[in-house]
Amino acid sequence: MEPLLTIDQVTRRFGGNVAVSGVSFSVMKGDITGLIGPNGAGKTTLFNCMTGYISLDAGTIIFEGRRINGKRPDQMCRLGMVRTWQRVKPLGKLSVLENVMIGAFVTTASPKVAGKASLEQLQAVGLDRYADQPAGTLPIGLKKKLELARVMATRPKMVLLDEICGGLNHAETESVLDIVRMLRKRGVTILFIEHDMKAVTSICDRIVVLSSGEKLAEGTPEEITSHPAVIEAYLGGGYHAQG
Amino acid sequence: MKKILIPISLLLLALFLPELVGRNPYFTGIMINVLMMASLASAWNIPGGYAGQFSFGHAAYFGAGAYTTLILLSGNPIDPLLALLAGVVTASLIALITGSIVFRLRGHYFALASIAVAEIVRLSVLNLQFTGGAQGILLSDLTFHGIDLNSKIPFYYGMLMILVLSMGTTAYIQSSRMGYYLQAIREDQDAAASLGINVALYKNRALLVSAALSSVTGSLYGLYIRFIDPGAVLDLRLSIEIILTAIIGGVGTIWGPVLGAILLVPLAELLRSNVIGDTLISMGIVSDVSPVGHFFKEGLAHAHVLVYGVITVVCILFMPQGVLGITRRRK
Repeated sequence: MEPLLTIDQVTRRFGGNVAVSGVSFSVMKGDITGLIGPNGAGKTTLFNCMTGYISLDAGTIIFEGRRINGKRPDQMCRLGMVRTWQRVKPLGKLSVLENVMIGAFVTTASPKVAGKASLEQLQAVGLDRYADQPAGTLPIGLKKKLELARVMATRPKMVLLDEICGGLNHAETESVLDIVRMLRKRGVTILFIEHDMKAVTSICDRIVVLSSGEKLAEGTPEEITSHPAVIEAYLGGGYHAQG
Repeated sequence: MKKILIPISLLLLALFLPELVGRNPYFTGIMINVLMMASLASAWNIPGGYAGQFSFGHAAYFGAGAYTTLILLSGNPIDPLLALLAGVVTASLIALITGSIVFRLRGHYFALASIAVAEIVRLSVLNLQFTGGAQGILLSDLTFHGIDLNSKIPFYYGMLMILVLSMGTTAYIQSSRMGYYLQAIREDQDAAASLGINVALYKNRALLVSAALSSVTGSLYGLYIRFIDPGAVLDLRLSIEIILTAIIGGVGTIWGPVLGAILLVPLAELLRSNVIGDTLISMGIVSDVSPVGHFFKEGLAHAHVLVYGVITVVCILFMPQGVLGITRRRK
């Protein structure tokens, strides 16, 4: 198996605060890789670095064998690496269908073709009956699904999901995870920030643990859940007792 | 079918309107102003209404067109159409320079910078030699392929053509990928970028198209009035009137800015010509010796921008989608 994305010694500071410090890991093609860590561990900062929203202070990011540091978010998207947002960002006044069309326009300039492709994506995530509704009026669970449909419409090679299950109840989480599994079946590589440990361990092939901006551990879900330093830093005694 | 029928009947009405008012120069003049404001508000609406980039300095593009055209024509017997195209070039340059610098920033910087650029243009024109300074530029004679340019009628049809061009451009953009992209930028810039939209590029494109259309309108206005000075074509007040026209009509729509102009320009004319004050006094509703009557008689004529302001506040409070938004909601 070959890595689709490699990040090497990535560092990002905010003033005197080192948010991400010399983090390195690879994401294998076709895998679902989890990125976990306590609040403030630097997960979202790392996502922002990887997708071009903030610049790196040091390190390199390699996607499909090419160095992509310093590219803009839209260039990252067109290269095939697309993200979702922890705080969902629906294009509120546009309809649900139009939201997905914005993603589909990466593959075509024709609104007609984009509209057709987008409707298929909406059907895939079960949002087709909301197609004409303004996206801002959807409840949070459906907004998360809309983010997924929008990202899927860009035909990505890799998606970065930032707490896609955050704020969802059990049933909603399950149906979102089903969509993530469907994405993987389509051959999309996934990097997954998540707090919900059950979701992470049930779906991920590998897990990377960040703590205070540094990589603490990396391995399979079994290795991570039994790793003493991870239990100490992130899971705490409570999870151990449950397990 | 209905979708095409209404615009075509409105266009036919517009074509015959000068005849319907018996080629009356006063009414033709007001109608030219309506068409001009409609065209400017439509042009503003492309970056402002669709992409959410509020320019407070559109007078700069209007003035750039008017000044370039009149400077070139005064003393040079060149084709007015060439002078008009030169205006487009000037306005586009101003737009490109402004946009490429300011659109790198986010938030309200563009709105602030657009005022700054417009003031730079105004002050330059005011203090330079070849622009005529505060005295402005007077165009003594003008000929164009044998058309009688002392009549207002050719300018009415000229403005109508420019409005159709502005609305056609808007309609084309709205139905193409660019229209979707501009609206995505308006709704959420970060989300737009994450979905593959080169945000700065599309903002610049929108501003460029808008500046070019505003410039053509300005050139024709210059040819129509034949006298321009910084106060008339480069003033901040003009920029604000353009914005208010678009907002009151309904931003982000093809017809909103046109509706705004149809409502506001005649209203401004009523206020300026004291018709409202005189009517109220002659009907005995207010006495012309009372302070209120005095205000209607003497003050109101100078207060049309104030009235625009009040209408805008009411609009934003009670119909944020503009007048057009109300008809939409009822459907």
